[in-house]
Amino acid sequence: MVSSPSSVVAPDLRPGRVTSASPSLAQAPDVTIPLRYLLTGLGALLIGVGTLVVRPELVTQYHYHQHVAAVTHLFVLGFILSIVTGATYQLAPVVLETTLHSERLARWHFPIHVISVGGMVVSFWVWDMKNVGHFGSGLALGVGFFLWNVGRTLGRARHWTLVSVGIASSLVWLAAVVVAGLVVAAAKSTYELVGRSDVFQPLAVTLAGLKATADFMARFDALAVMHAHAHLGVLGVFVLLTIAVSYKLVPMFLISEVQRPWRAWTSIVLLNLGMAAVFLAILLQSRWKPLAALLVILALGFYGTELRAIVRARRRRQLDWGLRGFLTAQLLLIPTAILGLALSWPGLTLTELVGRLENAYGFLAILGVVAFSILGMLHKILPFLVWFAAYSREVGRSKTPALHEMASPRLQAVGYAAWLAGLAVTLAGILLASTSLSRAGLVLLAAGLAFFFAQALQVLRHLVRPQLQPLPGPSRIQRASQP
Amino acid sequence: MNSQSDLPPQPTAASETSSFEQEIWNALRFVIDPELGVNIVDLGLIYHVQVVEREVHVVMTVTTPGCPMEHSLTFGIETAVLGIEGVTGVHVTVVHEPPWSPAMMSPEGRAATGIR
Repeated sequence: MVSSPSSVVAPDLRPGRVTSASPSLAQAPDVTIPLRYLLTGLGALLIGVGTLVVRPELVTQYHYHQHVAAVTHLFVLGFILSIVTGATYQLAPVVLETTLHSERLARWHFPIHVISVGGMVVSFWVWDMKNVGHFGSGLALGVGFFLWNVGRTLGRARHWTLVSVGIASSLVWLAAVVVAGLVVAAAKSTYELVGRSDVFQPLAVTLAGLKATADFMARFDALAVMHAHAHLGVLGVFVLLTIAVSYKLVPMFLISEVQRPWRAWTSIVLLNLGMAAVFLAILLQSRWKPLAALLVILALGFYGTELRAIVRARRRRQLDWGLRGFLTAQLLLIPTAILGLALSWPGLTLTELVGRLENAYGFLAILGVVAFSILGMLHKILPFLVWFAAYSREVGRSKTPALHEMASPRLQAVGYAAWLAGLAVTLAGILLASTSLSRAGLVLLAAGLAFFFAQALQVLRHLVRPQLQPLPGPSRIQRASQP
Repeated sequence: MNSQSDLPPQPTAASETSSFEQEIWNALRFVIDPELGVNIVDLGLIYHVQVVEREVHVVMTVTTPGCPMEHSLTFGIETAVLGIEGVTGVHVTVVHEPPWSPAMMSPEGRAATGIR
């Protein structure tokens, strides 16, 4: 297989000079596009963890609460979705060996995303569900841009692979979770203007439709609807996307390969089937919930087995802290899945203990599995983006730093340890319903985040102060100073 | 140097390549894969170099199809080789057959990366 060749012919042949013909660089999108999403996501994570440190009772009290909903959406939309969006805009075209359908659309998406998420979080906090719906509609518009853009990009892929199928299916669940969220918001709003004759006709029709939706949703249990929505987002979008992408990135970073393609495919297919089953079983409060959960666990089992085989077959012995964080997060799928199975037990009544277990389950899934996975991968993605912005035009002209030289491994190690300890201590606080223990754990998480930011700043510093060195040899040194 | 017959030739001694070609190989060693921190020659990414009337044709691969560094590396090759006196053009072709494997790395590359 041959990819498109690149050719540069020097039009002006002056000995010893780089000619004015500029070599062609990637058709990858401008790195400022993913970077703005990544930095937004990290800002949201900072605010979210900071809020929990100040208000640790948000992780110990029962989660059906406006402030918990606000902080959860800050994590899920502000942090996770922002990072996923930025990383997808940058990496999907690369992984699919094509170009992004529209950079302009990606740029337009950004302000819509930031304003919508910010508005949603504030509206949740003050429990203004109408405005949650309004800002949620803005979010849906942005997600629509994103899905269109990435969908068209997927359409350009030369061939469909395990990874592209996994990404595509997670995008389908993303559309589903956004629609489900809007339906939940519609169900929790009131419609005073419906039936009045003085209302602008298109608005009257829209409101009547929303009220009909709310009336329909009244058939379902409100908690069940919320839990089904949450599973669509965390399991259907983020866990599935993480699994799909890991089948590309983990072998790439570790110089390994998928060992049993059928096993990887089975994990993706079963997870999609399991997601559909879990959604319906939770929504309908079915007694078949454990079977749906087992289907997901089976999928995760195939994934875990394959991931273990990939790691064991690696040619690159050393595991950096980013990959350690990512792999640790995948290990956390085990306790999360066990908790999920236990909570799926039919006829389980909502006691105080069950409430704590539900909180622990949600906490572990969002800040344990997904957030830890993302932080781990950010150790790889952020240096790549910064390196690309600062150094990609200097390759072959000057000595550029390697990615692992851009940040301190020691800071990364301490950050990893603090985050892991923070997860464990907070989890203990949640299970014991101890606010003080939870706060201690959340402070550890904040410390882990501080170390993460410290090393991220080391990386970002290269944008301001590139660390270029001349190449050895007199002719090289001369060339390094030329444009 | 890998002895497998399906691998493209690489220069083994100065006598087998002209000094001009040797200079090209030296220039290619200035192109570093930032993920692995090793130059692309020792990584075994360069499959073939041919000079036709002062135009340089490079056939290379990447460690994995869809490698995000591919375009940076081809850019680096173009920049490095165009800097050699007398080069009139550079043509880089990225191929995925035969696929890259650590067996294509030089002992120096393997030692620097810790790759087995």
